[in-house]
Amino acid sequence: MSLMALGLWSFPLLLALIFLRAPIGAAMFGVGFVGLWLATDSPTMALNLLKGESYATFSSYSLSIIPMFLLMGQFAALSGMSGALFRAADGWLGHRKGGVAMASVGACAGFGAICGSSLATAATMGRVALPELRRCGYSGGFATATLAAGGTLGILIPPSVILVIYAILTEQNIASLFLAAFVPGILAALGYMITIAIYVRVNPTSAGAKDRVPYARRMRALAEIWPVVAVFALVVGGIYAGWFTPTEGAAVGVACTGALAFVRGTMTWALLQDAIMTTAVSTAMIFFIILGAKLYNSFLALSQMPQEVSLWVVGQGFAPMTVLILILMFYLVMGCLMDSLSMILLTIPIFWPVISVLDFGLIGLIDMQAARLAEGISDGVAMAPDLLAQAQAKLAQGVALGREEFRDLGLRPVTEAMHADFNRTLTAIWFGILVLIVVEVGLITPPVGMNLFIINAMDKTTPITATWRAVMWFVGSDIIRVAILVAFPGITLFLLR
Amino acid sequence: MALDAIARYIDPEPQQAEGPRGMQDIVTRAARLMALLGGLVLCALVALTCISVLGRGLNGLAHGTVLTDLAPGLARWLAAHTGPVTGDYELIEAGIAFAIFAFLPICQLKGGHATVDIFTSRLPPRANRALAAMWEGVLALVIIVIGWQLFMGLTDKLDNGQTTFLLQMPLWWAYGASFAAAGVAGLVGICSAAMRMRAALGGRPLP
Repeated sequence: MSLMALGLWSFPLLLALIFLRAPIGAAMFGVGFVGLWLATDSPTMALNLLKGESYATFSSYSLSIIPMFLLMGQFAALSGMSGALFRAADGWLGHRKGGVAMASVGACAGFGAICGSSLATAATMGRVALPELRRCGYSGGFATATLAAGGTLGILIPPSVILVIYAILTEQNIASLFLAAFVPGILAALGYMITIAIYVRVNPTSAGAKDRVPYARRMRALAEIWPVVAVFALVVGGIYAGWFTPTEGAAVGVACTGALAFVRGTMTWALLQDAIMTTAVSTAMIFFIILGAKLYNSFLALSQMPQEVSLWVVGQGFAPMTVLILILMFYLVMGCLMDSLSMILLTIPIFWPVISVLDFGLIGLIDMQAARLAEGISDGVAMAPDLLAQAQAKLAQGVALGREEFRDLGLRPVTEAMHADFNRTLTAIWFGILVLIVVEVGLITPPVGMNLFIINAMDKTTPITATWRAVMWFVGSDIIRVAILVAFPGITLFLLR
Repeated sequence: MALDAIARYIDPEPQQAEGPRGMQDIVTRAARLMALLGGLVLCALVALTCISVLGRGLNGLAHGTVLTDLAPGLARWLAAHTGPVTGDYELIEAGIAFAIFAFLPICQLKGGHATVDIFTSRLPPRANRALAAMWEGVLALVIIVIGWQLFMGLTDKLDNGQTTFLLQMPLWWAYGASFAAAGVAGLVGICSAAMRMRAALGGRPLP
């Protein structure tokens, strides 16, 4: 069998093993190991690779952000901020039609700003908001579905563990991805609130009413959430402003949320132990898959399968949008079966090379050159007026400038290569956000959406089928949002330009 | 993905039906202890990073114009006495590797590794138990291979005496600590696989 065929066959084999309930990390490890063995006719290469690779993976500075964000989420859950967030959102929204559900979504979004994990967000907010929703007469399935959907905001709104892993896999800047995720995250929260508003009008019996809260109390409740705002501003703002690296930002976040829980007296030794145990299990699970993925990807790289596939896709001349939509559909289907992180680690090494060679025309060369001219003007660079006018006229006609023309103007040139590079970066970020959303949909799609189980287990009186029926509304809202973001890349990217 | 993983998320410490005894008890204790150790190392790294960030921030402040104009004495003192912790990256890399190896046993013991069980859930319980036992065995094997090669890496680092760049800390220290944790992970893996095998053969429900 040729190397290429070996590479191609390894993927369905891997999927088959995973569907036979193999631990995903072990399956990738095994297929990668045996693949390398067959490809080189001896186990030496795989074994030698492992000598340093497991330590290198586990000791990676950039990956060390993952246990820190997980611990931060655990501490945030302990800090009791979930209750404060819910009371604040409830004060402002609770009296509306479906208001308590909207408040739950708002509180989830707020909690997502200090927690990078969907499960932790769903579990924490569920504990706070579910009893209140039920008390106010919200139907069981609607209440659980709202919280399950709200939980996905934990990872859509930065910080986000999945985005960190995507950034590392595609060698993109974590801060840019966080920034790009911000607007889609807010849109998600708004979309869910609109969904709730429609749902309660279609099913009037599903929600009860609640009295208005006086403004003084609303203000007081709002003032209570300042630590959340402060921690988010410090961590995400600090990473973006370059005060510290993303890992350092995560460490600062752990310290802040830990201190918050300690000061509020909600942290006990037993709870700290629980927080560590939960962090330990999730961390080990994630790193075990990452290590398996490394081995599998080494094999894939040797087999040249991803490059060949991307060449083939380009050679077929498919429209870039068709390829993108097919990939997103694949994630939606797989999301019904598999957890988001495994899916990202399994598929991004194959899909990203394909997407990266497609041109979505996210930014034009002319636009970039015009931006450089404008930058030069606003910086007060002394440019010969006649040359400047000439250059502007050329750009207006849609003709690109050459290297010499920039040099004559005293500006750093914008070349084809730079344009291609920037276009690729924008594609990576846009694709990353889209993938993040579609894999998160997997958390709330029946039958194995994790958030559904977590929330449903908290409400013994609601059958899971009731949750499934109601959650389809939120899945619909997700799909509409993805369609909008695919059609208008600018929504995701405008903050970066 | 497994349902018990979800149950654990809601109730972090589910009571075991038979109560831990004998080998199972020792294995559980060892795994918890390692996880706790790893967690404490993680917390220490968080503290170290914060001190380093704070030191770097204060040092930057001391060199800024605001402080040198307002309080030159304080600025000089800060410039001389504050700064990032030397070799903080190196310490984080060494510590985090140990922590993650130390987290492996508890993950395996609690069935925390990600799996897809939607297709196999339709199989009869006996077949499911057999599958679980088999994969647990594979998992243990993978962890042993990882540990074995980590040991080979450790002997390499012992022989060539490689050190980190800034702190001149021998690399084998970090490899050694990681190997110790990986050793426990291997043992827990074997015990865990053995317990599943026994359950599969004896037809008893999963522990």
